[in-house]
Amino acid sequence: MPKWKEALRRLTYLGRRARFDQELEDEIGFHIAARVQELEEAGLARHDAAAQARREFGSGARMREQTRAAWQFQWLEDLLTDLRHALRAFLRNRAFTVTAVACLALGIGANTLIFSLVNAILLRSLPYPQADRMTMVRFTPPDHADERLGSNSGSYFFIREHNRSFEKMGAIRIVGISVTNDSGDASHREWVQSAWMTPGLQDVFAVQPLLGRWFPQDENGYGRVVISYGLWQRLYGGSPDVIGKNLRFDRGGTSIITGVMPNGFQTLNPDIQFWRYQGDDDLARARRSPNRVFYAFGRLKPGVTVSQAQADMDALKASLGQEYEMNRGWGIKVETLRDAYFGHLRRPLLILQGAVLFLLLIACANVAGLLLAQASIRQRELAVRAALGSSRGRVVRQLLAESALLSVLGGAAGGALAWFGITTASGVVSTLLPLSGRLTMDITVLGFTFLLSLGTGLLFGAIPAFQISRPNLTGMLRESARGSTSSAASQRLRGAFVVVQVALALTLLAGAGLLTRSLLRLNLVQPGFSPGGLITFQVHFPYSFERGIPNAPNTPAGGLLVELDPRYNQLAEKIREQIAALPGIESAAGAMTPPLGGAARTLNFTRAGHPVSEAEQEAWSAEWYPVSAGYLHTLKLGLRSGRDFSDSDKAGARPVAIINRTLADRFFPDENPIGQQIQTGMLDDPPREIVGIAGDVRQNRYEYGMRPQIYVPRDQLPTRMDMTLSFDVLNATFIVRSGLNPASLVSAFRKSVAGVDPSLAVTNVLTVEQYAAGQLQDLRNYAILLGMFAGISVLLAVAGLFGTLAHLISQRTGEIGIRRALGAPNAAVLTDVLSRGVTLIGIGLALGVAVSLALTRLIQSYLWGITATDPFTFAFVLALMAAIGLLACYFPARRALRVDPLIALRSE
Amino acid sequence: MEQPELLPGTLYMMVLRTLSGGPLHGYAIAKRIKECSQGGLEIEDGSLYPALNRMLVKGWLEAEWGTSENNRKARFYSLTAEGRKQLARERQAFERMVRSIQLVLGTS
Repeated sequence: MPKWKEALRRLTYLGRRARFDQELEDEIGFHIAARVQELEEAGLARHDAAAQARREFGSGARMREQTRAAWQFQWLEDLLTDLRHALRAFLRNRAFTVTAVACLALGIGANTLIFSLVNAILLRSLPYPQADRMTMVRFTPPDHADERLGSNSGSYFFIREHNRSFEKMGAIRIVGISVTNDSGDASHREWVQSAWMTPGLQDVFAVQPLLGRWFPQDENGYGRVVISYGLWQRLYGGSPDVIGKNLRFDRGGTSIITGVMPNGFQTLNPDIQFWRYQGDDDLARARRSPNRVFYAFGRLKPGVTVSQAQADMDALKASLGQEYEMNRGWGIKVETLRDAYFGHLRRPLLILQGAVLFLLLIACANVAGLLLAQASIRQRELAVRAALGSSRGRVVRQLLAESALLSVLGGAAGGALAWFGITTASGVVSTLLPLSGRLTMDITVLGFTFLLSLGTGLLFGAIPAFQISRPNLTGMLRESARGSTSSAASQRLRGAFVVVQVALALTLLAGAGLLTRSLLRLNLVQPGFSPGGLITFQVHFPYSFERGIPNAPNTPAGGLLVELDPRYNQLAEKIREQIAALPGIESAAGAMTPPLGGAARTLNFTRAGHPVSEAEQEAWSAEWYPVSAGYLHTLKLGLRSGRDFSDSDKAGARPVAIINRTLADRFFPDENPIGQQIQTGMLDDPPREIVGIAGDVRQNRYEYGMRPQIYVPRDQLPTRMDMTLSFDVLNATFIVRSGLNPASLVSAFRKSVAGVDPSLAVTNVLTVEQYAAGQLQDLRNYAILLGMFAGISVLLAVAGLFGTLAHLISQRTGEIGIRRALGAPNAAVLTDVLSRGVTLIGIGLALGVAVSLALTRLIQSYLWGITATDPFTFAFVLALMAAIGLLACYFPARRALRVDPLIALRSE
Repeated sequence: MEQPELLPGTLYMMVLRTLSGGPLHGYAIAKRIKECSQGGLEIEDGSLYPALNRMLVKGWLEAEWGTSENNRKARFYSLTAEGRKQLARERQAFERMVRSIQLVLGTS
């Protein structure tokens, strides 16, 4: 008889339990009626016949059960019964259930959240076919093996030609450019990053466009582009006939769109919005250029591992160094794409996951303790069950079912918490780690949660189950309800758990406290000007504004020399005038970088008539700010003496400069700087007369000291400069002071800029306060993360304390009753009861302080203005934890005192 | 008074044999066994329906609601093909057992 057929038949029962019972009753009714009829025919009166028939049939309860059992899956029925009992028990004992489920929810939820991060970054495959065969090949400088830099075109060719590991190779060069759709209207103009792709790169990434196709990988590829999904939506409204349309660039050049990539497709940089072709011969012309602007990707040949490819590259680097001097002494590093993007995150993430698992273990210990405490109350019930014939195995199964139910409830609650956390964090994560895709609760994560829940259930349920079910029937039935499972050993164990939890909570609180204090102090740091109400945006002037100079030598620093188009200054100034004239704008100025928006360029300088020795040269460097007229005024940066730049300080007029107070005090100690000459280290820069001394500006809040600063009029910059400098200069920033909402000004900015030159795009409309907040972003994130962990561990510690004390008190209810009945004052009883709790807290705090003092140095690099053992923070955190701990003890104690002594006595 | 009991393990065989003559309801099955055995065998009321249901699960019987002789709703059981095979199997096994016992007891 095939068993599965039976099982199938049994399944039909599951659907019709109620109807089955009814039919059985009908059948039994018929049976009895038939018997009654028979008896009547034999001569009995109806009444007697009925009575006899029923007597003969028996009570039927057992029969009915056996009949039903024929159809049921026994294990399923047992499980359901167990779960029903468990549920009833939980509902009866709400405090215990809520505490246990809450502990589990916190532990499981935190784990799920972190795991979803681990999943997105370390586990989930990158969205390319066979992504584990994809690698990046980059260069490491001689003394900095941790850095990864790009390649120049010559080196890329060399590697491509001589390697034996890659079946396909390609390289990307990123170039910023402004584009719009083929109607050319300014309102859709965007500044985007574009990727020049070498032939072969398409095959490395191996992703086909959503619409259309890739451009051909030969000369026909020129003039054709493939655009990103986002660009397609924004510039062409997602219309399906975009293939064949034009993409317009800065100065009117166009390319034909041959394809659109799927949503979410990225290469090296998520800001890349379109891809275009660059042939080998084109690249070969710049073979010897020293600029490391190419990023090489390779798809490994089948069967070749990354370490083999690395060995291959190591063998090449010597000859590469000989061929191209810039590579002498440099190493070549081959990494999988995942490592290249996320390698630096692997260790912190795994540590994080470990920490969170540790938290879960603590939560499990908590719940195990709670179960043990419950156990002593249930000794009688279980003894009775055993006496009635329940095997030990059955009892253990019942207890495990309870644990399983608890952990499933905890897992569900934890999953919900994690889901909430994931949706909140998803946005933050994709900004911080743009290539990681979205944080989701996908199948892997859900599966993890489920398995974790079951695992924790078994973990914390097993020991109590086996301990509780130990047979000791007569003893149990005879003794009072309190029982004796809480031996000294288990009490000590629970006490140890509580101490560990308190210590852990204190450590995490200390860390979070230190970070928070740093954050608060940083917030108070004044930048030296008035940041409120300042709005900035940037305009990238296209490369057509700079011209290479034929036959020019390289600059002293080894870079390429270029000449800047003078129209740049005219246009920049016109933009400034237009913007200043907008309604609601108090003042406007131009600069190279936004205030507080990143590190400023530094240049060396000298005082006229003050030669500086080689050794001192390094000290004579200052932050360098090319600005328009009105900069100081717009920023409300105080002038100590002298004057601000005015419209008369333009090209051709006398070269001037403004220095800050620190520079004046430090480098002109003996005399008034005004009227003196200062010379910057910039190529072709003339000596400048100092016309004003400005207040100090703190660009980077983390720095303690003030730096020397020099301001020069933008119009007076020399036209020839190093290409890397022109790159920054052409990235013009405009700053306005206005009380208006930035969002309302965006279109006004766009119109003004387009009115000056329609090929220019407005980007990065941000307030200075946003830049300021951005400086603190990392610290804020760490503080929040650590704070969350601290919060969770505090809650766990409280639960542990609460549970332990509640159990302790319930054990001693009788004794407490006696003492109060004998007239002991409440205070005395209270202190006695609390003493154990206080002892545990005290030991925990002491342990916690010791551990904190040792561990906080790990976050020293993130702290600002305080030491890792800041006494104020420690005192605060200690007091907080002590107060919380005492509160956790107080409530159970108070409840004990409320109990009527008579009741307490009677419970004996 | 001692109830005549079925030999352990023969209940299924008795029921299968009884139904080989056609469908019957539960009460009729019990009555028929008692009658055919001339009072020698009687099924306990408490064992009848559990056994019938077990046999349904094993696929040896089918059940259908119908009307009895006196127009009352009753559930009728009938043999399936598998049930017939099972009857033959159990019969063979039983007869073999009886022969062996008889040999031991020294009767033919």
